[in-house]
Amino acid sequence: MALVTGAAQGLGRATAFRLAAAGFAVAVNDICDDGRLTEVASRIGGIAVPADISDPAAGPAMVEAVASELGPVYLLVANAAAMAMAPFLECEPRDWWRQIDVNLSGHFRIIQAVIPGMRAQGRGRIVIIASGWGVIGHQNATAYAASKSGLIALTKGLGRELGLQGILTNAIAPSFIDTEQLRVDADDAGITLDEMRQRYRQQIPIRRLASTADIAAAVAFLAGPGSGAMVGQILQPNGGVTRTRA
Amino acid sequence: MTSDGNAMPVAVITGAASGIGRACADLLGAAGWRTAGIDLNASDTDQSLEADVSERAAVARAVGEVVERFGQIDLLVTAAGYYEEGIDVVDITVAQWDRMLSVILGGTVNCCAAVLPVMLSRGEGTIIAISSELALAGSATDLHYVAAKGAVLGLVKSLAMEVAETSIRVNAVAPGPTDTPLLAADSLWRKPDYLATLPLGRLVRPDEIAHAVYYLATEGSMYCGEVLSPNAGAVI
Repeated sequence: MALVTGAAQGLGRATAFRLAAAGFAVAVNDICDDGRLTEVASRIGGIAVPADISDPAAGPAMVEAVASELGPVYLLVANAAAMAMAPFLECEPRDWWRQIDVNLSGHFRIIQAVIPGMRAQGRGRIVIIASGWGVIGHQNATAYAASKSGLIALTKGLGRELGLQGILTNAIAPSFIDTEQLRVDADDAGITLDEMRQRYRQQIPIRRLASTADIAAAVAFLAGPGSGAMVGQILQPNGGVTRTRA
Repeated sequence: MTSDGNAMPVAVITGAASGIGRACADLLGAAGWRTAGIDLNASDTDQSLEADVSERAAVARAVGEVVERFGQIDLLVTAAGYYEEGIDVVDITVAQWDRMLSVILGGTVNCCAAVLPVMLSRGEGTIIAISSELALAGSATDLHYVAAKGAVLGLVKSLAMEVAETSIRVNAVAPGPTDTPLLAADSLWRKPDYLATLPLGRLVRPDEIAHAVYYLATEGSMYCGEVLSPNAGAVI
């Protein structure tokens, strides 16, 4: 069974559908359920487990609830994320810690909670959704980039620490994905959605935005039987964004 | 035929007679791809072509035969190569250096040069070069092999950017120590003391490399100049 955080929309949602199609029983989490999470769960025959993973008690409690209903977690997809753009000196400590608490510490606690079940099964997969910005950094996104760089280091450490126990941890570092976030970005920039897409395309060597399906496919690969020798690796299906020089 | 009525895609695999190349050919063939193998020896592929990849004219002829038979090339996997270990850097002869560079780097260049125009004519295709985890981490007593595999990564990253605005994708797979005939029975990489240092504690299987190749070939259109390394944790 699989647990996907941040699954009410975008990449998490697409990942939940992809994993369900591959035969996984899927539990979907998001910060709250405004109907979208339940809709995803009902369409894939899974369960919805809303929780704010930055709450120290909520994440582990959610893992326990999932295990009691669907059995121990075999695959964790750590996808939920908070992001707030601001120049470094204008970054409010509250915003800084919100991004660290959700993206990094929230998943730290969930990973701690799923490991005993994985150990008991003698196998498990942890797929962490990092970010291209966690690889190369980005202006006005220091908190987000720091949290994602932290996840990359977490991936590598867990890969080393858990590999011999049959638990494989890898990460994916996407960059520009065609999700609902683009509408937010467009509104922030005061331009149309198509203009936003075009602006981002110009930053991508292959001139194409990733679809949520592209990234969900990477998750499916890391969750599947063919990737048994992948451990501590950072996949970068981002059209070459992290290959470019500033 | 694919579900939309098109002919199944065509893969050219070098080094297809054994080891990683063979595993790639087997997996692609099992998935219904039409396969052409280029190797010094006969391969169990739909079109077995015997040629030395270090000879540009021979590679061009072989690729020409593939196009003549299948009319297209969707995927090139450059797995041809060989391995020598246990040689101190000062003892690597000029002949050993030249041969290693000419097979591994030259072979990859020759195959790309022959196949790329075929892909460019359709504006799409996938090239996957088999490099090595050793090119990421460095290694002692096999410097000529590591240098050649490292050069392949430079080629891959640059070629990927050169064709980035087409639908041709160029990437690399850098296997960890893999259980193939290339690793001698007394290889350092087979010794229990070494394997115990790996996070997975074992050699990589050839089919695990083939699955990474298959993933890149079928769902990897967002990768551009990347290196996937199924390496059992040898390089993290």
